[in-house]
Amino acid sequence: MLTRRQRMLLFVPLALLLVPFLLLPALFGFLTSFTNYAPFQPGQLVRFVGLDNYLSILHDDTFRTAVRNVTVFATASVSAELIGGFGLAYLLRESFRGRSIVRFLLLLPWVVSPVATGIMWHFLVNRESGMINYWPALLGLPSLPYLLTFELALPTAIVTEIWRKMPFVMFLVLPGLLAVPADQWDQARLEGLPVLGQIRHVALPRLRLLMLTITLLLLGDALGNFENIMMLTGGGPGSATTTPGFYSYQKAFVAFNWAAGTTSGWFIVAAVLLVGLVYVIMARRGAD
Amino acid sequence: MVLRARLQHRQKRRHYVSWRGLLLAAAVLLLNMPLLWTSAASFGIVPDNTTSPPTWLLHPTDENYLEAAGFPNLLGQLETSIAISSLTTLLAIAVAYLAAYSLSRSHFMGKRLLLQSFLILASLPVIAYVIPEKNLLQLAHLYDTLVGITLAEAALYAPLAVYVLHGYLAQLSPEHEEAARLDGAGTFQIIWRVALPITAPGIAATAVIVFVLSWNQLLMPFVLTANHVQTIPVMLSTFFVYERELDWETAAAALVVSLLPLAAFVAAAHRTLEQFSLDVARQED
Repeated sequence: MLTRRQRMLLFVPLALLLVPFLLLPALFGFLTSFTNYAPFQPGQLVRFVGLDNYLSILHDDTFRTAVRNVTVFATASVSAELIGGFGLAYLLRESFRGRSIVRFLLLLPWVVSPVATGIMWHFLVNRESGMINYWPALLGLPSLPYLLTFELALPTAIVTEIWRKMPFVMFLVLPGLLAVPADQWDQARLEGLPVLGQIRHVALPRLRLLMLTITLLLLGDALGNFENIMMLTGGGPGSATTTPGFYSYQKAFVAFNWAAGTTSGWFIVAAVLLVGLVYVIMARRGAD
Repeated sequence: MVLRARLQHRQKRRHYVSWRGLLLAAAVLLLNMPLLWTSAASFGIVPDNTTSPPTWLLHPTDENYLEAAGFPNLLGQLETSIAISSLTTLLAIAVAYLAAYSLSRSHFMGKRLLLQSFLILASLPVIAYVIPEKNLLQLAHLYDTLVGITLAEAALYAPLAVYVLHGYLAQLSPEHEEAARLDGAGTFQIIWRVALPITAPGIAATAVIVFVLSWNQLLMPFVLTANHVQTIPVMLSTFFVYERELDWETAAAALVVSLLPLAAFVAAAHRTLEQFSLDVARQED
């Protein structure tokens, strides 16, 4: 067994990395969000402003729209990714020839970067030459409306996100499904349970924690969404697809309002911590 | 009776298999269609949806690739991306492995909570802290340097690596290690000679995931680097944002060029990737 000293020593390299490059920036952002600190205006006297930054952001209509957007975005995309990804994994559960290849092909959309996803879909929804409108034209149906308008841009962004992340959920769920002993499936099948019943009684109790963990990771990613949105719609039209992540970026690096950027970043931290707390409680409840 | 039940079962099973094949084929086709469409466009094969039925403009060309290859310094960016992602992966995995080993060999109150906090850190999005991080890196003269971005990205992915690697290490029975210790091996020898080889498949799979995440990471290099260090996603984004009038075919060629190295890497490593597991059931002790 390791001595106490050795245990601590093994943690030192990780601490040397995480403290200056993750925890310190987060803390620095937190502290300065209560001040008027502005690195873009050197020489200004830094003073404490209390909750001013938070209040001014909460009164900003764009930020409120962004919070609404990300709520819709996270709820819709994460639930679809979980259900779709689980379904794909279920289809891959039993071994067949070429499963390895199919597994790789189904993972491929996740390999496309969020930036590339945004750029690609921006063109694929083009009415004249894109992929989406090709099918109605082929079948002689009336053509679809442009999908990046004020009303449709957010649902479109959600669909492109699902396209990229559902494969990753499949990839993460499959090892868990494969770990369920085969005779449990056979038993349930012989008892005449329908597919959904089999999943509910055989797989889900065992995969509960894995699914919770995947949900946490997906929610964190969705709450900070920035890259896909920036490329696909640029946050628009208007603020139809602006998210708090996009808002932070715009404030800090386009409007040079550093305080607003870090403050809205802290709203994201708070949201993730809240989700994390729920995760810890739910994970504990399952374990007892 | 039993035989009959078995037979029925088997028939049901065959039925199920064909449905499954159909669904899988549909899923593969649907999910990959955008990629096929983009590849076709990169060769100049684009439909015209204004006519009914739509017509295809068939004049395959490699012009778009030539134009995309004319992007300033594509090879340089490829090199930068490879360097940053490899170093990030190496560093994140190394420090995470040591910490995960320590965790897996300790028992204390709140250990599960500590593991879960690594998971929560892993789900913290970059935008939540990257703005102040830029300021701090500037103060430390690490802004727009290879060292700065590598350390920042390693810190971004190390928490996930700790959680996953702990899963593999907790599975390991301590017998081998005890035997090595009786033979007089020190702690670091045991980690290097005993634990590392046994957990190698899991480490490799985790490394591939971290590499892919780091390769595709935009926001961090976008904010923490400028002219000296430029990765492929940053190149794609600036190219696209500043030349919004960019035509689809050239963009498609650039997308294909940017995707190919990573897709080839993942294809080559897909057997390794099958070892990846977030399975928390094992993290419970």
